[in-house]
Amino acid sequence: MKFGLFYEISIPRPWTPEKERTVYNNCLEQVKLADELGFDHVWAVEHHFLEEYSHCSAPELFLTACAMITKNIQVGHGIVVCVPEFNHPIKIAEKTATLDILSGGRLHVGTGRSATWTELGGFRANPDITKKSWDEFVRCLPKMWMQETFSYQGEFWSMPERTILPKPYQKPHPPMWVAVTSPGTEIDAADRGLGSLGLSFAGFEEQEKKISEYRRRIKSCEPVGAFVNEQVATTNFLFCHEDEKTGVEMGKRLGNTFNYLATQLISTREVFASPSYQSLGLLPALRRAATGPDANEQQTEGMAYGDPARIIRAVKKWESLGVDCINFILNANEVVPQDQVMASLRLFAKEVMPVFAKEPAGKALSAHALSARAAE
Amino acid sequence: MPLYGTLDITANAKALPTLANLDTEAWTLPKAEMLQLLIEVPRSTTDGLLPKAMHPALPSYVILAVTKYSESPVGPFNLAVLRLGSRAGAHPRGFLLGAVASTEAAAKELRGRWGLLVEAGEVKFLRRHDRVMGTVAKAGKTILDCALIDPQPVAGTDVQYINWVTAANAPLDGQTQPMLIQVDPKYTFYKAERGKPQVNAFDAAAWNAGAITLADPIVGTCCTVDTDLPRIRFVMDPLKPVFQGTRRIRESRADE
Repeated sequence: MKFGLFYEISIPRPWTPEKERTVYNNCLEQVKLADELGFDHVWAVEHHFLEEYSHCSAPELFLTACAMITKNIQVGHGIVVCVPEFNHPIKIAEKTATLDILSGGRLHVGTGRSATWTELGGFRANPDITKKSWDEFVRCLPKMWMQETFSYQGEFWSMPERTILPKPYQKPHPPMWVAVTSPGTEIDAADRGLGSLGLSFAGFEEQEKKISEYRRRIKSCEPVGAFVNEQVATTNFLFCHEDEKTGVEMGKRLGNTFNYLATQLISTREVFASPSYQSLGLLPALRRAATGPDANEQQTEGMAYGDPARIIRAVKKWESLGVDCINFILNANEVVPQDQVMASLRLFAKEVMPVFAKEPAGKALSAHALSARAAE
Repeated sequence: MPLYGTLDITANAKALPTLANLDTEAWTLPKAEMLQLLIEVPRSTTDGLLPKAMHPALPSYVILAVTKYSESPVGPFNLAVLRLGSRAGAHPRGFLLGAVASTEAAAKELRGRWGLLVEAGEVKFLRRHDRVMGTVAKAGKTILDCALIDPQPVAGTDVQYINWVTAANAPLDGQTQPMLIQVDPKYTFYKAERGKPQVNAFDAAAWNAGAITLADPIVGTCCTVDTDLPRIRFVMDPLKPVFQGTRRIRESRADE
């Protein structure tokens, strides 16, 4: 089992320059500590216009800063929006390669297509075609990274032959993932040989089904890249405290705040009738859970908050379902004071991480191991 | 935390519809044809239109709908409504700003049963091969002229209708008082089409919509559905956040 941090970078009103800087600095301080404590990944989302929920619109800059202050932790775009109005594919290839070089080969590239009208409408993107453009982008990226020259004529973008520079530090290229929120996207991930970067907070039963289907289908995948990145990551909240009650209370507060902010987002389906957004993704579950920011209702099972023993039980359950990595959200709207976030990370690293230090065979493979597998 | 509306509906309670009770019987409304246009509006123009209990949708948008009800307990009628996209707690809702019904009987019943701020007027629902049109006039003046251009078939499952919230006076705990009422129809789709919204005339003041100006069209749909106006299940304190001030009036239906 691997552990990571997952950043939306949620910033409460009023948005003074100092507050935004403070929150960013808090995140960087957490990442630096996580690196020292042995966490495996730090992921950062790409979101635009999502007030309070996420001010992380330039994750490549945040991740570069993370890479510059750390030594080992791997940095993940979680995710790059693969829609032409948001990001040109050439720029994605160039920026990710640069980040991979600067981080010394520690980059993971998550891909996705955006789920909110707030974002898609803001860029005047057509929701009907985001899945198709994502599919084109993920098939082009490995070639743009690996081929000396590249040209392309597709449905959503094209370019004449050029040399895209620089090339990534990792060879053949960084591991690729896809964000999985809507039901069925785990199949898209498996069929393309991509890692499944779960961003929803589904319960055990639903996750088990998804993971099982992912594992089954990826066996016969046609990878878009040079290797198969068979990994399943899920997202969770983390608040670890010596006292279980204190840990649960703060963890619930964190979860409720995050969920309530998330439910304020305008999902694409809510306003734009489209066959491309049949599912509301993670929102229905969040709306059931998010009765209010101060609610005390039971949240989705398997949350990583409480004392170390409770969190160990939750993580073991996820591990038994086949999860390779859990990425933790540490804060939302700064409801957890920074000193408590840091203490929670330290306690988790001291009491929980050692229990899971041994990697299950055949699951959480490193990029190099995966490359080797591909070479075989 | 999320922004809240600033409208205090208790400050002008006399202007609100008044319900005799919260025991409204449901209406079954088969084979209704619903033209619905969603359009973004500048956030500054929605200030003061949303009750304090609710959160604004970001970006701000309105829902313009013109519906042809071919059967109802008060006979056939057309209804045009303007709703403001918003949130009741965690849930997407359309707060009703204004409505016009094509018959006096429908207007009276909709006001008195579900708290729709509705008046009688001329409401037309017109279908052409290249568009579906809705027009509304009050006292001879056109207050809405809109259309769904070039409708193309989609699946009913592609369309999501969000529930309504109305503001009205109603008896609760022995006292008639202003409150927010959730109106949550069900829909069974027979036909669904999608197209581009077009608005040729819109008189915001006639819809109690303050200074709202229509800015960026999102999408338009026209659907044939079996629907209803159900019994009232939830009411909300207009001044408290919805997650603190919601009261369940009766249990949900068996299919919920």
